[in-house]
Amino acid sequence: MPDLQPYPPHEDWHDVTSLNAQAWPDRVEEHHSLVPTTCFNCEAACGLLAHVNHETGEIDKIEGNPLHPASRGRNCAKGPATLNQVDDTERILHPLRRVGERGSGRWERVTWEDALTDIGGRIATALDEGRRDGVMYHVGRPGEDGYADRVLKSWGVDGHNSHTNICSSNARIGYQSWMGHDRPSSDFANAEVIFLISAHLEAGHYFNPHAQRIMEAQGKGATVICVDPRLSNTGSKADHWLPAWPGTEPFLLLTIARLLIERGDWQQDFVRRWVNWETYLAETRPDLPLAFESLETALLDAYAEYTPEAAEEICGVSGDQLREIAEIIGAHPTKFASHNWRAAGAGNLGGWQTARCLFFLNVLTGSVATVGGTSGNGWNKFKPAQPKGAPALHEWNELSWPKEYPLAYHEMSILLPHFLNEGRGTLDVYFSRVYNPIWTNPDGFSWMEALTDEAKVKCHVALTPTWSETAWFADYVLPMGVGTERHDVASFETHNGRWIGFRQPVMRRYAEIRGEELGPDTRTHEFNKGEVWEENEFWIDLSWRIDPDGARGIRRWFESDERPGTPITVDEYYGTMFSQSVPGLPEAAAAVGKTPLEYMRDVGSFAVPGDMVTPYERIVGGADVADCDKGEDGVFRRPGTIATWDGTRAGLAGIALADLGEGSPAVEVDGEIKEGFPTPSKKLELFSTTLKDWGWPEYAAPTWIKSHVHHQDLDLAGDERILLPTFRIPTLIHTRSANSKWLNEISHRHPLWIHPSDAEALDIEESGLVRITTRIGHFVIQAWRTEGIRPGIVAASHHMGRWRIEEDQARSWGAGKATIDRTADGKWKLTRDHGIRRYDSDDPDTDRIWWNDTGVHQNLTFSVQPDPISGMQCWHQRVRVGPAEAGDQYGDVVVDTAKSREAYLEWMAKTRPAPGPGGLRRPLWYARPLKPAAPMYHVDN
Amino acid sequence: MTRLGFLLDSDACIGCHACTVACKSEHDVPLGVNRTWVKYVETGSFPQASRHFSVMRCNHCDDAPCMSICPTNALFRADNGVVDFDDDNCIGCKGCMNACPYDALYINPATNTAHKCNFCNHRIEQNLEPSCVVVCPVHAIKVADLDDPLDPATSIIAREAVAVRSPEQGTNPKVFYKGAHQASLDPLRTAIAADGMIWADTTPAHPTVPPGSHGVVARTTYTTGHPMTWKAKVSGYLVTKAIAAGVMLVAALLVLLGHSNEQAAVGVVPPMVAGAFLALTGVLLVADLKQPKRFHYLITRGSWESWLVKGAYILAGFAALMAAWWVAGLADMHRTIEVLALPTALLAAATAGYTAFLFGQCEGRDLWQTPLLLPTLLAQTVTAGGATYSIIDLFMEIPSADAVHWAFLGGTLATLALIWIEATSKATPHVEAAMHQMMHGDHARRFSFGVVGLMAGGGAAIMALLSDDPAPGPAAVGGLIALLALWAYEDAFVRAGQSVPLS
Repeated sequence: MPDLQPYPPHEDWHDVTSLNAQAWPDRVEEHHSLVPTTCFNCEAACGLLAHVNHETGEIDKIEGNPLHPASRGRNCAKGPATLNQVDDTERILHPLRRVGERGSGRWERVTWEDALTDIGGRIATALDEGRRDGVMYHVGRPGEDGYADRVLKSWGVDGHNSHTNICSSNARIGYQSWMGHDRPSSDFANAEVIFLISAHLEAGHYFNPHAQRIMEAQGKGATVICVDPRLSNTGSKADHWLPAWPGTEPFLLLTIARLLIERGDWQQDFVRRWVNWETYLAETRPDLPLAFESLETALLDAYAEYTPEAAEEICGVSGDQLREIAEIIGAHPTKFASHNWRAAGAGNLGGWQTARCLFFLNVLTGSVATVGGTSGNGWNKFKPAQPKGAPALHEWNELSWPKEYPLAYHEMSILLPHFLNEGRGTLDVYFSRVYNPIWTNPDGFSWMEALTDEAKVKCHVALTPTWSETAWFADYVLPMGVGTERHDVASFETHNGRWIGFRQPVMRRYAEIRGEELGPDTRTHEFNKGEVWEENEFWIDLSWRIDPDGARGIRRWFESDERPGTPITVDEYYGTMFSQSVPGLPEAAAAVGKTPLEYMRDVGSFAVPGDMVTPYERIVGGADVADCDKGEDGVFRRPGTIATWDGTRAGLAGIALADLGEGSPAVEVDGEIKEGFPTPSKKLELFSTTLKDWGWPEYAAPTWIKSHVHHQDLDLAGDERILLPTFRIPTLIHTRSANSKWLNEISHRHPLWIHPSDAEALDIEESGLVRITTRIGHFVIQAWRTEGIRPGIVAASHHMGRWRIEEDQARSWGAGKATIDRTADGKWKLTRDHGIRRYDSDDPDTDRIWWNDTGVHQNLTFSVQPDPISGMQCWHQRVRVGPAEAGDQYGDVVVDTAKSREAYLEWMAKTRPAPGPGGLRRPLWYARPLKPAAPMYHVDN
Repeated sequence: MTRLGFLLDSDACIGCHACTVACKSEHDVPLGVNRTWVKYVETGSFPQASRHFSVMRCNHCDDAPCMSICPTNALFRADNGVVDFDDDNCIGCKGCMNACPYDALYINPATNTAHKCNFCNHRIEQNLEPSCVVVCPVHAIKVADLDDPLDPATSIIAREAVAVRSPEQGTNPKVFYKGAHQASLDPLRTAIAADGMIWADTTPAHPTVPPGSHGVVARTTYTTGHPMTWKAKVSGYLVTKAIAAGVMLVAALLVLLGHSNEQAAVGVVPPMVAGAFLALTGVLLVADLKQPKRFHYLITRGSWESWLVKGAYILAGFAALMAAWWVAGLADMHRTIEVLALPTALLAAATAGYTAFLFGQCEGRDLWQTPLLLPTLLAQTVTAGGATYSIIDLFMEIPSADAVHWAFLGGTLATLALIWIEATSKATPHVEAAMHQMMHGDHARRFSFGVVGLMAGGGAAIMALLSDDPAPGPAAVGGLIALLALWAYEDAFVRAGQSVPLS
């Protein structure tokens, strides 16, 4: 057999000879340049390789980048589908400005120059008039961690608003409360037991890199355990599928923890050395001797109620199965890799305890940052320092960081419409950037109300490659590039190793490969389709418009060092970053005779050298802690850091905030000075003093918080059920993938999963229409009876239900035609006129659309349900389920926003607001985008 | 030698559809059709439920029925054992789609030619793996050189439990599944429920056995559409062809009975009527081609292995003899007609019967492969001849009307008897599923009309035979009903044959 290779050798990438697939079996030779870039669909940032045809100058196809350390040349369906997003006949190619009322759908084409001048002028006015909180940037997933933060910081604006609290706030606080890092980094490939409260074989952070490694480990004999009330693809592949009742996952995990302790199957020496058990004992069991030997008693007492028998009743899974699983886990110390990011964490009130209790198992098995264990993202993610960073902000935006949520991870973005409604502020310029809150966030009609109120949102700029429901309600729609049309640097904790990936505009790079001279004035949009810009150049140019003469002190952060008085170029920015901030890269580049930037343009990624196994064990030299005070707890605290703050308002002025933790460099363990964890105790925190100090002592140690959808509180004998509205499928990614025909052809329907026994009990017919009634309204969806769901629960994937208002615009491949009305009693009503239909375009495939269904927009009917601690939207819904009523049509959505406000106030009442200790708005050591200067943390500043 | 196959590892497959999309991209596959796709089936009851994934595609069979039936060598065996195709030769007859027992082929709406997985042979040529192999996150798709025992994938095929789809078809498939649930590979063990697919519109274009059927142990929750390809034009062609052949058979019978000198009723009108129906047959055949302008490829690029090509020559030969008969009739050369009678009858029988061999090449349609098909087609042809002559009887004097009515009755009874034997015989699950669809499912109305209509036609023939001097009207009406019934039955038979899921 020929020696088949996955990819042509790297040295040929500038000119690869291939055979045309369509002409075959005739041998028609073609020439391609293979340009590496990075996928812009899900968070994983897998490597891509665009094949640019020399004859047509177009991208023919997009494969994976074999040199990418995380994706290793492989991709999920969304990688190759990037080509559809480039070629989508309905993509936005020119800047648009609305001409009618907001949301009326009437647009005029404007020049970029006009758009930049107007938006820049508005921002300048807001800054000059002291309304720094009036500028807000609301981002879905960043293309490059920290890029926009750099921009906002230079503007002096605390205007970062993220999607985190509809996504991962709960998981973050669960992990961070243990180890300081707020994301797990699981070494699946080397694990012997893999415990997923997630669906990583089809979704999640980070689907493709994780799935590769999970299946690799399972192939080598690892046991895979998946907790999910619904049979995900992951649950199907798992050796153990545990369909626990939603919100009872912490109970299940603590049951396993207790079994491990009871059986003596826990790594006591690891726990003794690396867990703050002294604090735990002192705080929870002052009656016991302050000795490690007391810990076992304390834990067994604390978790006495978490028995397999109790778990059967509370969680609905077999106690014997839990015993078996505990036995497996106990038999594989240090090789337990676990993960939770959304799933139970994102669904439930108190869902943050899912990650906290899950990581408890890592702690008990000593599988923390081990080979085959779970590490922290801070160790396996490499974020290169940005050139030209402005100093910390002296601002605090209470629209995003309200006092009610001092521990929130992160911005309380879901509450923005309610805050605007309450008059907590107004927005001069609101950027929605590849983000679609009207559709994605709960309570979309409240968003619509806010975004159409020009007194509250004076200018809404949508930065997006494609139409979205939110862009429809913008003043400017500015087309931004997809994965092959923009620059970003990405790094994620996909496995045991660190890497950076470079996203680059393919056609720009191709021009370079073909020998075109790119001068300092060359811009990416010259190479993209239409007038599609890349964001980096947008922010640079916009910043120049805000501060044309440099008088506002902004321009200098976007000025070239090489050519003062002119804007910095992307080549200069990344050239500096790659030569100065990525260890090993300059040497690797030099070895092949390239500059670091050329190397990254050619290879697309770089594995950052360095061993990150158990980094907390690293010895810290005495000289490095010479300036520190060593506490009784062994922590070396450095003057000028949070750890040595005197607790006064004035004292904050002298405090420098660390990115992670308190800034203490080391901790003494068994007489050795070690790097430890970025927590206040420098250890794993079984007892979180922060949670106790900030008003939640009952949750300071891992525990189970009863969910807002706890099954025992529901009228299951009647028509009450739990709705799981969040699950993802392998082919789509939120609202980013509607512009791919291949992905939408595979998946365009999201019927309501319902167990046949529930369908029977609730009188729901095969494929029958179902009315789901929530706290604030109802929607009508089609039933899909399946054995793959726990009776008592119904579920519908969240990807579908996209809609458009105009017949001939924003159809894409998956948006149904809808009409929005207000009923006589003031309720909002979205009616589905029809699903997707065939239409004529330059792409003959639009005339081959064979499906019709586009789903139901269920999120509109969900009220905000922010967890009082993390701020996470608790997505699961307590609903009433019944057959459709007279007059109900498929796709109907009816919502009463007055009830939305009631629900908002009910959930707000659960909070325990700031100030915390020392009069602070937020713990100083907690992570936060755009961390302002320490004094801004004081409520009176 | 190199002999390439795939090892598809369902143990590893996570059902992500990356292969589907990579293939669409590599080959610019239009919406609505697929060279490869991922099938989902679900088994068990909560909480012991599961979902199983398997990748479906061309099996690159060592004995490829698509190649045998392909009339124009558009499908060919590449040197590396792959079944490849050449667009330039394809006439779009869809024979391959019925020959393939794996739903592997489709008509590309952009080219109107048949396409399928060709193992990315344009990449293999460049020493590159197929695009699905490259993209797969979990290395669940592996290329195996089956002639190399040391090849890693071939070693797995040799040493581990692997399975192939539809081994009973004798195609020697070269796609091997590791860890696949049996219901994933056997489309009769799984059914699409009325609730439809897990995240795609229900695909009525994909056949299914009814949920709850005997032997069904799983539910298909994701697959792609595979619409029926041979419909009214093909069942229509069977009937027009039967009329043409039948009329000439009866005419030959009349010659045998000494009526060769009946210029109108034997010499001229039968070849005219038969010629008209044979022409209609040709029109239907060409119209059913996706590339009708390439119909002459049957001759110019014909493959003798294909019964489509043999059939074309038979039809041409039959047409030539009929023409000669007609000329002889016009010239009133009844001796010539007597000479022509036997060869014409033989070619009429061949015209009627060759479809049995063509359908026999359709390995994907077990219903059509019944050994009873040849006698059934012949019986139908006699029926059609008798029926058509009974109608002709309305317009002109027919010698020996009894002979015509005996032929009509005999053909009808034989056809009914053969249908009855087929319906009551023990058969494979595939054939039983097809028979069920024909007699009780989607095509039951056509089938019932066919049977009842044939009975009515037979009844009319009996009435005519019992009457001393029958008026031609009732037998002619019976003839018309019988012809419609034949079409209804054929249509049910053709469609039911395609109603059994292959994937």
